[in-house]
Amino acid sequence: MIWKILEALIFPGAVFILTVSLFYEWIDRKLYARLQNRVGPHLAGPFGLFQPAADFIKLLSKEDIIPAAADRFLFTLTPILAPTLILLGCMFLPVAGLNGIVSFNGDLIVIIALMSFCTITIYLAGEGSNNRFASIGATRAALQLIGYEIPLTLALLCAAISTGSLSLRGIVEAQMANGTWLIAGPQLIGFAIFVVASQAEMERIPFDIPEAEQEIVAGWSVEYTGRRLGLFRLTKDLELFLLSGLGATLFLGGPLGPLIPGLEPLLHTIYFLAKSILVLIVFTLVRTVFARLRIDQMISFSWKYLMPLAIFLVIITEVIA
Amino acid sequence: MKVPGYFLAEALRNLFKKRATILYPYREVDKIHLPEGFRGKIEFDRSKCIGCQLCFRVCPAKAIKMIEDEKGKRPVFFIYRCIYCGQCAEVCPTKAITLGKAFENIALRKEDLEVR
Amino acid sequence: MSFEVPIGPQHPIHVEPLMLRLKVEGELIIDVDVDVSYIHRGIEKGLEVRTYLQGLYLAERICGICNCAHSLCYCLNVEQLLGKEVPPRANYLRIIVEELSRIHSHLLWIGHYFHTLGFETLFMYFWRDRERIMDMIELITGNRVITSYNVIGGVRRDITPEIESKLRKTIEYVRERMNYYDKVIDSEPSLLGRLQGVGVLKPADAISLGTVGPHLRASGIKHDVRLDDPYSGHDEVPFNVVTYDTCDCYARVKVRMGEVLESLNMISYALDNLPSGDYRLKIPPFFKAPEGESLSRVEAPRGELVHYSISNGGMNPYRYKVRTPTLANLLSVAVMLKSKGDYEVYIADVPAILGGIDPCICCTARVIITDEVKKKRRVTTLTELERYAREREVRKS
Repeated sequence: MIWKILEALIFPGAVFILTVSLFYEWIDRKLYARLQNRVGPHLAGPFGLFQPAADFIKLLSKEDIIPAAADRFLFTLTPILAPTLILLGCMFLPVAGLNGIVSFNGDLIVIIALMSFCTITIYLAGEGSNNRFASIGATRAALQLIGYEIPLTLALLCAAISTGSLSLRGIVEAQMANGTWLIAGPQLIGFAIFVVASQAEMERIPFDIPEAEQEIVAGWSVEYTGRRLGLFRLTKDLELFLLSGLGATLFLGGPLGPLIPGLEPLLHTIYFLAKSILVLIVFTLVRTVFARLRIDQMISFSWKYLMPLAIFLVIITEVIA
Repeated sequence: MKVPGYFLAEALRNLFKKRATILYPYREVDKIHLPEGFRGKIEFDRSKCIGCQLCFRVCPAKAIKMIEDEKGKRPVFFIYRCIYCGQCAEVCPTKAITLGKAFENIALRKEDLEVR
Repeated sequence: MSFEVPIGPQHPIHVEPLMLRLKVEGELIIDVDVDVSYIHRGIEKGLEVRTYLQGLYLAERICGICNCAHSLCYCLNVEQLLGKEVPPRANYLRIIVEELSRIHSHLLWIGHYFHTLGFETLFMYFWRDRERIMDMIELITGNRVITSYNVIGGVRRDITPEIESKLRKTIEYVRERMNYYDKVIDSEPSLLGRLQGVGVLKPADAISLGTVGPHLRASGIKHDVRLDDPYSGHDEVPFNVVTYDTCDCYARVKVRMGEVLESLNMISYALDNLPSGDYRLKIPPFFKAPEGESLSRVEAPRGELVHYSISNGGMNPYRYKVRTPTLANLLSVAVMLKSKGDYEVYIADVPAILGGIDPCICCTARVIITDEVKKKRRVTTLTELERYAREREVRKS
């Protein structure tokens, strides 16, 4: 029991996940900057490694303002709820072994549900702050959900169909049994859909429409300051970890790799992190080379191209399986 | 021809290039090269000044004040008002005023930004 | 249900205070109200109390980015009052620096424009390459932004052969980069989706709303002060007027891209055919201008810039009037932002459309009188202004 609690709290639980997700933000920022011929974070720690943590701590210490017009309940609840949901989702990832901290049949569905809940939380956060820009941003976030959620779910389900399991453990085990990763095969299309849809889930370019700075200031998060904003920023980092980890687990075999007896948990962790960093690099590359779409363009893109592709993939996967 | 992500090749090529940024205020301060004829902080040579007041009259920012010292009239320059146009240096008949290369003109006290 | 969205006076898309009151239905904009009264600086009045020489430095600071155009326009104006002709070498040097600052302004604009469309990487690249041009401006004039290069009667410094060779290298570099970026803009679908068909301004509307500069040329109308009313030796330096007839934001980007290339060619030509001789007339620092009035026009990076001055024979202008290009272009923004029938404008298009005119608000501000007691705002009308000006004239005389 005590081991289980320690596992959930420290490794590979909350503390580990938070540290790694801040590190992922650093990778994302540094790589983005280098692709743009800039330096990126370079002040806090060696190569600016502690910059995301420094930013977070700085936000925690800033003044906390609740606007008079805002809904106090939602304004307090949503910044806590959003990172909690995503952190809970991260607990299912098989980081240090084939099992996550929590693992049961159907945990893939739970992760998808948690991500949708997070978007709904964001919608509530925007509407609860009672600001024109925030409510436009919130509406856009909800609209965007309609656009990307179904292709994302279908892409993830295709991985489940082709391995015949709805649990992450089952999918990883099937990849181990086959000896190949899912990405080598028709699921490559699934991976592409997953990358595009994740970009929308994380609200990053080209789909950073709900918080488009140049159009609606900061969208749904415009009224949040101090630690509330810090928690939302943390949510973004956790999402980065969750989605790159999910991509690595489903399509790149997660913690699989050559093992040395006695060192399994360590090696599993290393393989998992290396693969999810690969997915993260793909995310960053996508963010580098596109301009932001308009919300109507985004919706029509996902219903015209992403949806048919996802349905096509489902058919192919069914036929093969 | 529409190619999504056309820019990717160029971006990846730049990943291995040297960065364009100079880490100016922290490191690499010596990497800043100011060209010949840069218009920076005013330098004043008292021995050449003849006290003709031309610089005082011509200054568009009223950054120059005339005072008396033991050798007669002379200007004082307030860098915090200076717009670095270089008109005083141009108009000076004896070239007592020149624009130097100091551009980090920040101080905590007003007196530090006076050229006497 | 419609509600009002205030874009401004402080908003990430504009660096300067401008107010757009958008009436929106969901994402669709149905009405817009433009207010430019947030930053009145009193520069015209300031010019009236300074001598002609001091006024030059104030005129230069009307706008930071097109400072070269403003100082050139001011110099042309005063030279016209004095009846002086600058030496041919000065004309060519003026063209070189003017075109350099046009390139720098256009690169800044294109980069910033992509930033507003969310294309951060291209933004960084454009600004990186613009830095080369800034270095050249610094090398020639002594400062990166505020050039202080044009003076009454010529230019302040000459170009040495060393500078010339560096300048030629930079031109080649920027030209090569521009040709590459041209391809990027034409092939990136996410960018084209944000540009094509957005903010359409028909040529007839463009003329009737009095737009100027690249904004007008993007509506397919061949109008350029450098061609129509050549100043400062522009009749000797050949160039093409770049026009596009798609009339949308895409055309605005392409026109400016084309103009950068044209400017590079003009600089090359000017360097090749640089006349020898003096680069400056000797004009004393203090002088009285003869009585009269003069008007000068310059093609600033943002469009036609007009300076008008009246002299009553004193040491300083009696009246000085500046018409900046952004003021002429802002009217068209109000038209482009309104959805009408098939033409739909979304909130997401606001940065694209407003950015498309290359707004420079600080040189544009006009008066709105706010009555604190009655809580009313009203705009001074033309007749009122005219009456006010006449009354003042009577009082002075």
